[in-house]
Amino acid sequence: MTDAETETGNPVLSVRDLTVTFGSFTAVQDVSFDLHPGRTLAVVGESGSGKSVTALSIMGLVELGTRGKVTAGQVLFDQTGSGDAVDLLELAEADMRKVRGNQISMIFQEPLTSLNPVYTVGNQVAEAVMLHQGLDKDGAKERALEMFNLVRIPDPESRLDQYPHEMSGGMRQRVMIAMALSCDPTVLIADEPTTALDVTIQAQILGLMRELQTTTGASVIIITHDMGVVAEVADDVVVMNRSRVVESGSVYEIFEDPKEEYTRSLLAAVPRLGSMAGTSEPSRFNLVAD
Amino acid sequence: MSDLNDVTSPLVSVRDLTKRFPTPGGMVHAVEQVSLDVGHGETLAVVGESGCGKSTLAQMIMRLLKPTSGRIELDGTDITEIGSRAMKPHRRKMQIVFQDPFASLDPRRQVGKAVAEPLLVHGLASKGSELDATVVELFEKVGLEADHVNQFPHQFSGGQRQRVCIARALALEPKLVVADEPVSALDVSIQAQVINLMMDLQEQMGLSYLFISHDLAVVERVSHRVAVMYLGQIVELGDRSHIFENPQHSYTKRLLSAVPIADPRRRQDRALLSGEIPSPVWADGTSPTLVDHVEVESGHWVASED
Repeated sequence: MTDAETETGNPVLSVRDLTVTFGSFTAVQDVSFDLHPGRTLAVVGESGSGKSVTALSIMGLVELGTRGKVTAGQVLFDQTGSGDAVDLLELAEADMRKVRGNQISMIFQEPLTSLNPVYTVGNQVAEAVMLHQGLDKDGAKERALEMFNLVRIPDPESRLDQYPHEMSGGMRQRVMIAMALSCDPTVLIADEPTTALDVTIQAQILGLMRELQTTTGASVIIITHDMGVVAEVADDVVVMNRSRVVESGSVYEIFEDPKEEYTRSLLAAVPRLGSMAGTSEPSRFNLVAD
Repeated sequence: MSDLNDVTSPLVSVRDLTKRFPTPGGMVHAVEQVSLDVGHGETLAVVGESGCGKSTLAQMIMRLLKPTSGRIELDGTDITEIGSRAMKPHRRKMQIVFQDPFASLDPRRQVGKAVAEPLLVHGLASKGSELDATVVELFEKVGLEADHVNQFPHQFSGGQRQRVCIARALALEPKLVVADEPVSALDVSIQAQVINLMMDLQEQMGLSYLFISHDLAVVERVSHRVAVMYLGQIVELGDRSHIFENPQHSYTKRLLSAVPIADPRRRQDRALLSGEIPSPVWADGTSPTLVDHVEVESGHWVASED
C-alpha cells in the first residue's frame, strides 16, 4: 500500500484483511485498502476478481443478499474523521440499516433492475429521504426535485412523475445517482455505473460524478473493469485479480509505473484511441502474457 | 446517396438498404438508405450507439431480416429477394458471430457437434473420422484443443466460447464474417486475444469482416474502413485514418471525444455534457430527413449538416 503518499488525514473507510467465501470458494482474500476523504478510489479487475463482492461486503449485503460469508476482516468506517471508527461488520443489522443508503450509499450497473417499476422515480427518491432523514411528504418531494436539478435531469418537475420504463438508460442512472446522494452520504459506492450505457451517455455520467464529488464532498469507490473509466475519474487505484489485491497506488503510479506483471498485462490489453494514428492496416495487440 | 465507395469488385455491395418496423407508437426507421461495400480481405467496421441500426443492417446482409427496400449483392449476385433454396450456396460464403457466445450455443450439445453441424447441413462432410478430423483442425485453428470437442458450452470461459463460435463460423470457409459486437461481452485481456485471433484468421484465410461495434478504440484497432451510423443512416464513411484522424461530421467528433482515454493526464472536462440519443421512432405522417453525402477527400464521405 502507498498510504504514506496519499495520506490526507484519517481514512473515511478502511477495509482490513477482508475475506469472503462462498462455500469452498474464496471470492475475496485478505483484501485491504483505504478510502480517504473527498477522494475517488477505483477498484479495477476482470470478471470474478472479487471487486463486486468487496463492494457488497462494505454495504453489509453479502450475507443478506447472497450465500457468501465474511470469514475475516474489518470494514472500519470513520464518518466524522475523528479517528474513532466503527467496524461495519460488527454492527447489528438494525444499526447497519441506518448506515446503508444514508451514510454509505450505492449505485449499480443496471439502473432498470435497481428501480422499482411500479413507482414513479420521484416517489422512490422521496422514499429514501423520508426513511433516513425523517422528512415529511412535501419536504421529501422538494428534496427529490432539488436532487433532480443537481444531477441535471432536464425538465425535473415532470420527470418526477415518470416511471422508470419511460426514461432512457442515462436518465435512469441520473435518477439512481440522485437517490444515492439524496441523504448526503459520506461514501458513495458505484459498481460499474456506466458499463450499460452508450459511450456519449457514459461520458456525461462520468462528468457528472466527478462534478458531484466536488460539490458534495463525498468520498467515492468506483468498481469497474474499464481502465479508461479508471483514468478518467480515479485518484487512487486498487487492482484486483483472483480474489486478491495485486497492486494499489495513485492513478499515476498505476498507469505510468505499474509494478506488477498482472497490472502491466491488463494495461497492455486496453485498446487506446489514437494508438493507430498514421497507419492504415489493422494491428494485433502486443499482449504481455498471451 | 451515390456511391460511398471506391472498392473495385467488392465482395458485398449494399445499396439504399432500408428497414422499417411498424409499432403502435409509429414507424421505427431502423435503417434508412444505407449503401456500402465490403472489399475482399478487408474489415469494414460499422460503429454507432444503441438504436443506430447497426445490428439491423448486419442481420439484413445475412438475410436474417427482410429489407423493406434496397439491394444486397454478394460476390456479384443479387441475394436480396432469392428464396431460401437458392440462398443456400450463398450462405456458405457468409457467416455470423454474435455478441453473446453463451446464447449462441446449444447448452445441451457438445461444442464439437455444433461446429460440425454446418458441414453436415451443407453436405460437405458425412459423419465419420474425416469430419472429426476437420472439426479438430478448426478447433486448433482458433486456439482450442482437440479434447475440447466433447465438452459442453458451460465448461468453457466466455473467451473460449467465442472461439467455438468463430470455429463454427469458419467451418464453411466463408468469405465474409459478420461479427456483431464479438468482443463486447469479454474481459479486456480476453477481448485482446480474440481480436488478435480474428486478425490472424483474416491474414491466413483472406476473410472479409463486417465488424459491428460500439467501441471506437476496438474499431480503430481492427478496421481498414469505418462507417459511422446515427439514427439509421451513415453520417460518415472512410478509411480508418479519415474517421479517426480527420473526422468531419459533428456526431463522429462527439463520439470520438466521449471515449474515455486510458491516460489520467489526458482527462477531459465533461461536466456540462447532457442530452439523450434521439429515438428512431417517427409518428405516422412524419419521416426522417435523408442525408446527402459529400466526398471531402478520396474515399471519405460525410453527410451534409444544416
